[in-house]
Amino acid sequence: MQVFNWLFRVPTGTAAVTAKDRMRSMLVADRLELPAGRLEVLEEELTAVVARYFDLEPETTRFDIQQIDRKAALTANFRLVRSKC
Amino acid sequence: MSGRVIVITSGKGGVGKTTASANIGVALANTGASVCLVDMDIGLRNLDILMGLENRVVYNLVDVVEERCKLRQALVKDKRMPNLSLLPAAQTRDKTAVNSDQMKKLCLELKAIFDFVLIDSPAGIESGFQNAVAGAEEAIVITTPEMSAVRDADRIIGLLEARKDEITQYRLVLNRIRPKMVANSDMMGVEDVLEILSIQLLGAVPEDEDIIISTNKGEPVSGTDNTKSGLAFRNIARRLRGEEVPFMDMNAKNDTWVTRIANFFNPVRV
Repeated sequence: MQVFNWLFRVPTGTAAVTAKDRMRSMLVADRLELPAGRLEVLEEELTAVVARYFDLEPETTRFDIQQIDRKAALTANFRLVRSKC
Repeated sequence: MSGRVIVITSGKGGVGKTTASANIGVALANTGASVCLVDMDIGLRNLDILMGLENRVVYNLVDVVEERCKLRQALVKDKRMPNLSLLPAAQTRDKTAVNSDQMKKLCLELKAIFDFVLIDSPAGIESGFQNAVAGAEEAIVITTPEMSAVRDADRIIGLLEARKDEITQYRLVLNRIRPKMVANSDMMGVEDVLEILSIQLLGAVPEDEDIIISTNKGEPVSGTDNTKSGLAFRNIARRLRGEEVPFMDMNAKNDTWVTRIANFFNPVRV
């Protein structure tokens, strides 16, 4: 596998990729003035709200922050099993 | 006449603000424009050294602001080009020696005389930076591809955005790129930094030992023909004048004897 990576220069885990990933999340937090741990609290609360209405597959719930121009976009993905009456 | 007032800023120190100011100034003057370089790093004067003009400084920016001399008396004419002048910083004062209103007034006076007024900002985001941007209408943000420099550049971009009524345009100069390290994915490249910062590119400058030599000689590289960095700064000057100059492919993967010969006959564009 190492030879394969070397031959095809698969760029995962390289210093540049790591730097870029770290920069992305750091700048999202910087620009929003977001304290550490705040996002996790929001995620828990959002999950709790959705879980009041639907049965969820909790292990598939996903939160993602993307950069669009210089703004951040939060995406939440819940897999819904059935509604709670 | 009304010239353009452009502040050169970075947030982080040591990324090449002063070097870029000197080189872009020389390159702009070489295109025929009249240029004034303003050293706003009050207390830490350096631009005069890079220009080789340190022995000709009589008055400085603070003397002008405090009316101890006329503006014309403080301007140091470049020894190579009569259309390039330096307004030196004071060395024995600090950043509190001037305020934003004084800088706005000074910039108005300067742009009545020169086509381009380039302001070399001090590092940081405090009063020195605020004074440097006070009279500017455009900004050049300088960074290197290092994480700490990019983070500080992002902070500066945020502060410039907050002034969008005054600063109408800001573009990035990515300095000290090491093409081989970028090719090996050991370092972020131009595209990486542009994607992270979401900012328009004005120029990319490769790491170049000639910069050190030129600083020691007091002759900015953009004034000579045969350096990579000099070419990069000349292209930046041409883009500032509105010319469309293609960006160089900094990818060192293509560095073979064939491309070297090709590049010899058809020099790379930065």
